[in-house]
Amino acid sequence: MSTQQQPALSLRNLTRVHGSGATEVHALRGIDLDVHPGELVAVMGPSGSGKSTLLTIAGGLDTPTSGQVYVEGTDITALNIKGLAALRRRSIGYVFQDYNLIPALTAAENVALPRELDGISARKARTEALAALAEMDLGHLADRFPDEMSGGQQQRVAIARALVGDRRLVLADEPTGALDSETGESVLALLRSRCDAGAAGVMVTHEPRFAAWADRVVFLRDGAVVDQTVRSDADSLLTGRAAQR
Amino acid sequence: MTTWFHSWRAAVRIARRDAWRYKGRSFLVLAMIALPILGVSALDLTLRSAELTPAQRMERTLGAADARFSDARAAGVAILQDPAGEQHIPAGDYDSPGESWPDGPTDVTKSIPAGSTVLTDSRGSAKLTTRHGLLQAEVRELAAADPVARGIMRLQEGRFPEKDDEIAATTRFLESSGLSVGSTLTARGFDRTYVISGSYELPSDLKAQQVNALPGAFLAPYAKAVEKAGLPKPEDSTTYLVKKSGGFTWNTVQAINAKGVLVTSRAVALDPPADSEVPLYQKEGWANYESGGADAAALAAVGTVVGLAMLEICLLAGPAFAVGARRSRRQLGLVGANGGARSHIRAIVLSGGLVIGIAAALVGMVLALVLTFALRPLLEDYMGQRFGGFTVRPLELLAIAALAILTGLLSAIVPAVTASRQTVLASLTGRRGVRRSNRVLPLIGFGAVLLGAAIALYGSVVSDQFVLVAGGSAIAELGVVAMTPALVGLFGRASRWLPLSPRLALRDAVRNRGRTAPAVAAVLAAVAGTVAVSTYAASSDAQSLAAYEASLPYGAVAALVTEEGGRDVPEVRDAVQRTLPVDVRADVFRIAVGKPGCAPYDEGEGCGRFEVVTPPANECPLWVSTPDGSDPAEKYSKEQRRALAKDWRCLSPDGNGIYVDGGLLIADAPLLKVLGIDDPGAARALADGKLLSFRKPQVDRDGAVGIKLITDPKAADRAAEQNKPVPGELKSFTAYQVPGSPDSYGVQSVLSPAAAKAAGLTTVPLGAFFSTDRIPSTEERQKLDAEIAKLGSNVELTVEQGWVDENELVLLALTVFAGLVTIGAAGIATGLAQADAEADLKTLAAVGAPPGVRRMLSGFQCGVVAAMGVVLGSAAGVLPAVGLRLTEEREQMRFYQEALDNGWGGAGDAPPYVPIIVPWETLAALLVAVPLGAALLAALVTRSRGALARRAVH
Amino acid sequence: MSIRHGLLALLERGPRYGSQLRTEFESRTGSAWPLNVGQVYTTLSRLERDGMVVQDGEDEAGHPLYAITDSGRVELRSWFENPVDRTSPARDELAIKLAMAVGAPGVDIRDVIQSQRRHTVRAMQDYTRLKAQALTTVEKNGARERDDIAWLLVLEQLIFQTEAEARWLDHCEYRLIRLSSTAPAAGPEPASPGTVTGAAGTGTQAGAGAEEAARHRP
Repeated sequence: MSTQQQPALSLRNLTRVHGSGATEVHALRGIDLDVHPGELVAVMGPSGSGKSTLLTIAGGLDTPTSGQVYVEGTDITALNIKGLAALRRRSIGYVFQDYNLIPALTAAENVALPRELDGISARKARTEALAALAEMDLGHLADRFPDEMSGGQQQRVAIARALVGDRRLVLADEPTGALDSETGESVLALLRSRCDAGAAGVMVTHEPRFAAWADRVVFLRDGAVVDQTVRSDADSLLTGRAAQR
Repeated sequence: MTTWFHSWRAAVRIARRDAWRYKGRSFLVLAMIALPILGVSALDLTLRSAELTPAQRMERTLGAADARFSDARAAGVAILQDPAGEQHIPAGDYDSPGESWPDGPTDVTKSIPAGSTVLTDSRGSAKLTTRHGLLQAEVRELAAADPVARGIMRLQEGRFPEKDDEIAATTRFLESSGLSVGSTLTARGFDRTYVISGSYELPSDLKAQQVNALPGAFLAPYAKAVEKAGLPKPEDSTTYLVKKSGGFTWNTVQAINAKGVLVTSRAVALDPPADSEVPLYQKEGWANYESGGADAAALAAVGTVVGLAMLEICLLAGPAFAVGARRSRRQLGLVGANGGARSHIRAIVLSGGLVIGIAAALVGMVLALVLTFALRPLLEDYMGQRFGGFTVRPLELLAIAALAILTGLLSAIVPAVTASRQTVLASLTGRRGVRRSNRVLPLIGFGAVLLGAAIALYGSVVSDQFVLVAGGSAIAELGVVAMTPALVGLFGRASRWLPLSPRLALRDAVRNRGRTAPAVAAVLAAVAGTVAVSTYAASSDAQSLAAYEASLPYGAVAALVTEEGGRDVPEVRDAVQRTLPVDVRADVFRIAVGKPGCAPYDEGEGCGRFEVVTPPANECPLWVSTPDGSDPAEKYSKEQRRALAKDWRCLSPDGNGIYVDGGLLIADAPLLKVLGIDDPGAARALADGKLLSFRKPQVDRDGAVGIKLITDPKAADRAAEQNKPVPGELKSFTAYQVPGSPDSYGVQSVLSPAAAKAAGLTTVPLGAFFSTDRIPSTEERQKLDAEIAKLGSNVELTVEQGWVDENELVLLALTVFAGLVTIGAAGIATGLAQADAEADLKTLAAVGAPPGVRRMLSGFQCGVVAAMGVVLGSAAGVLPAVGLRLTEEREQMRFYQEALDNGWGGAGDAPPYVPIIVPWETLAALLVAVPLGAALLAALVTRSRGALARRAVH
Repeated sequence: MSIRHGLLALLERGPRYGSQLRTEFESRTGSAWPLNVGQVYTTLSRLERDGMVVQDGEDEAGHPLYAITDSGRVELRSWFENPVDRTSPARDELAIKLAMAVGAPGVDIRDVIQSQRRHTVRAMQDYTRLKAQALTTVEKNGARERDDIAWLLVLEQLIFQTEAEARWLDHCEYRLIRLSSTAPAAGPEPASPGTVTGAAGTGTQAGAGAEEAARHRP
């Protein structure tokens, strides 16, 4: 991970309080987190630890009680609703647990959607979408509707949509939650490869096996980061000739 | 701009696919919008197709000729005419006193320029023999086969007459006479027989009963035969079709006008002169009104109706879009997560309206085109004229289509705004929250109610203009519609006293005002309109019932024939007696002056008339004719006029009853029985040869009534114009003024035939009055009508059936309409509620509620919506009707006072009675039966077992 | 023992010499269980003693070749057919450590758990990275290379094992939190109420349940 680059996502002293008075719940307490281009960060923690809240605030779907969120250097907490929508069109891609795709649109149209909403001509948006799909070996799905695709295919198309255009930040909320182990793997492999190709990714999961695909795993407890792992050189663990593989 | 366009394209694509995915819902909304569009565009197509171009119009009136010359009957003086040749007046000033209006024939042929081709076109009428009896038909003598006449008549079968004993007939005539091509035809009292050589139609008058003969082949010999039988000669008129190279320009037409001849010219019709070049239009009161502003009012009315219809459709279709938006919350949330701004979400839901609107416009348009095209012959028959062509006005159709699209968009607007207000997170997680209803709208609504009520109040209390009351009521009504969400909230308070199922239903309805309110508003609007119209109609019914004046005693029948000297009277009397349950028959006669064949006021040669003289002392001072033609009433003060209005001389005879020439009937005692006059003195006086008088002013101081026989009507008219006594022989009869003032049903005097004969009066049979055992049934009436039609006579038939409610059917139709709208709207809302309540129902089932609860719940949900709408609508509907009635009462009272002040006729009557009647039957049906029916229907069509648990998303 | 059967399985494909067997074993199982040549020859001589392999000639370079016998095949077959014995679990240091940490003064067992978790997840990350590489290799070479596939399976076994460990650690944590909230005095860690409500992962339900339990047991 290269620390020189500007982080794709920076959270600074982020807090979020739900409700007030007796029903007050501190979902996040002073989170600091940087995610750099090329990095995939997994956020783990027991349910209720604030994982999903963190993700929604990072994507501008929710607003923090205090603290700042910088996406590619811009403080998004200062943006209005319109600005946030534009940000989601241009900078942030979301992948949810399931039903990511709009049933009325084909895979290509789904991928093209953020671009079209942004006002790009339908033809250009489609070209971009087809390119994005092809790059992820999903070209054959282009003209299928969501209900003609398997769950894993849908999630992969959703990742393609999250990264179409200039978007370089993927926020994934349990992207494998609704999938079996094998299919979940393929989705993560795709996410991994996109991050290796330069995107930044934040993924919330409670499955250690999927979190292990990340470069860094952040442990969240009671709304605060308690620990994180950094990927070591795998060779340190395994010796012998196998390392050359 | 392009950015906007591209993101809308994406929205439209989503909406289009979604519409296809949910076909049922889409079809429902589409049908709602497309049906009125179909109707309106079909109407437009029909009207536009029926509209003729000047060239087509000219072909139908002139054939291939250049002009039609007709006698203006202005005794040859110069006339002024309009370019179409429809209106004309003498050019000179004949209005000043002492001048007599020019009246008399002109020799048209003299005005026809030399070197023109001329065809005569004569029209008269005759009673023709048919398979069933006689039929009064128009006889037209025109060489229809001549190239000049081509286009006036369209040959359908056979050929036009070529010989004098041949005749062609319109298809309509053949249908009603039962004859066909090849049959023989003759006329009553005419010894010639004609063979029907062919059938034709008049393209602009398909309903015409007409026969066509060669010039001179029918009318002249027929007139001779009729005259020989001692009957008055039937009238005929001749016009001339003229063909001349170069045609007739407006200048030429004006030159011909100088000879007293009216010209319809093709050239003028094709190239009409400017209004300033038409001298007729410069005359006072003759301006060209065709393109006037009278259309503005009609346009406003049409606009209001269209607007209200659109509102109603929007209110009905709105909830459907609301469900759509509701069902696709997750999808909209995803769009939001992918950067869709609120405007994009709005665009997607609005696109739903746009897509349905466009589809509805297309479907409506195409169906209208196909139907109008396919049903063209039927439409032409219905309208009685052939279309000029199949005219499609693209701009008008586009405007109608735009209306459909606008309706679609408007229906989707509220759901779109609501959907866009949701946060992305809430849409994604599918949290069900109570959506707070818009607070601005009810406030605006409240303002509108206050404003509208104030205007209506002002209208009905201070001024008395309908427009103000109606407009104010409409504004207030719209306000109530806007306030519906708040009003629905009020209903929620009642829920705590209800048992479980209705309580759940009511709470649910109140909590989800977003879907309840439009449905309630739709019901409200429909019911309010119905109740308003019903209340108004019921009130006017009560008024007209109170004001109804019978023509005859209840159940009595009068059949009078004035033509041909009462030749058919015996047959008519027999026909009535045969077909109706007659109790007493009273034959009546009239006095004939001059030739016996003359009809009353017949201006034919040798025909005279009579007058029942009112002695000058008995004339109402307010009405006497003055030598200088001024209004005699002006001499009196307001108070004097008010007093005179109630004077016995000035009380106008009752306006009701049968019209009888001079109010005088020659008849015996049975007539009194039929009319219900049971004064024994009257029968005795009649038998004694006295004249029975029912109107006091006609009896002079000596107790006599004078009848003046006028043998020379023209001289009499001249004398009347110059205020001189009318020349004529005066016969005087001792009168018996019938005591009291029994209703004599328009008859003012009765004289026995014997007395009339003794006084040397000529009488002819007029007909008969009948009393019946019971009211003749519809079948009996139809039978009588058929019998009379066979006679071919012009019979004035009156059957007194008492007051007939003409609004009944309209009220029923309105109630049914409101009921249907209510059930429809409540059903839509119930469907929505069920989609929302699936989770609650599962919980209910889990807690152990029996399956029937589900049925009950949806029944109550439907009922609750219907009941709320109906209650609000009834309240909102009664008020404007009451306001309108109050205004009417004020207006009629004003007229009444004004009439009293001026001493106008009828002023002595009772003051106007303008009641306000609430139609309780209609209200009860709407308030009780409709919600109940809606609830039952919903309960019946709901499955008691829910569908398997489906995911709440999608 | 697994090395014994592993060598038998390799020999079933044909005669091999000692260091050749070691190379093949490692390439199948990755470098997860490194062998030295001494281990290989010891095992081979034991197998020979038991009559399961025989020396069978030499290759060109003079290495003695070993071949599997019929009784060796029988043994191999029964190994494949019988499940791995689970009746006497292997001693697990981590389990022992946690057992000891419960109630040990001056030791925050949650710290113990978290540091172990960090280590475990990190190991998983490394295995996963290797697996990602292996996946690419398999995809490139197709399914023909049994060595690559075998390696992938071994890696995945490691991943699932570490995952199980990580899950067990999570479970330990939840259990300890619940116990500490019901019996606060007994816990080595003075649990603050804030921590309890926040960390009671399954949310308010768990917390509420705990509170209820506390009320019933005053």
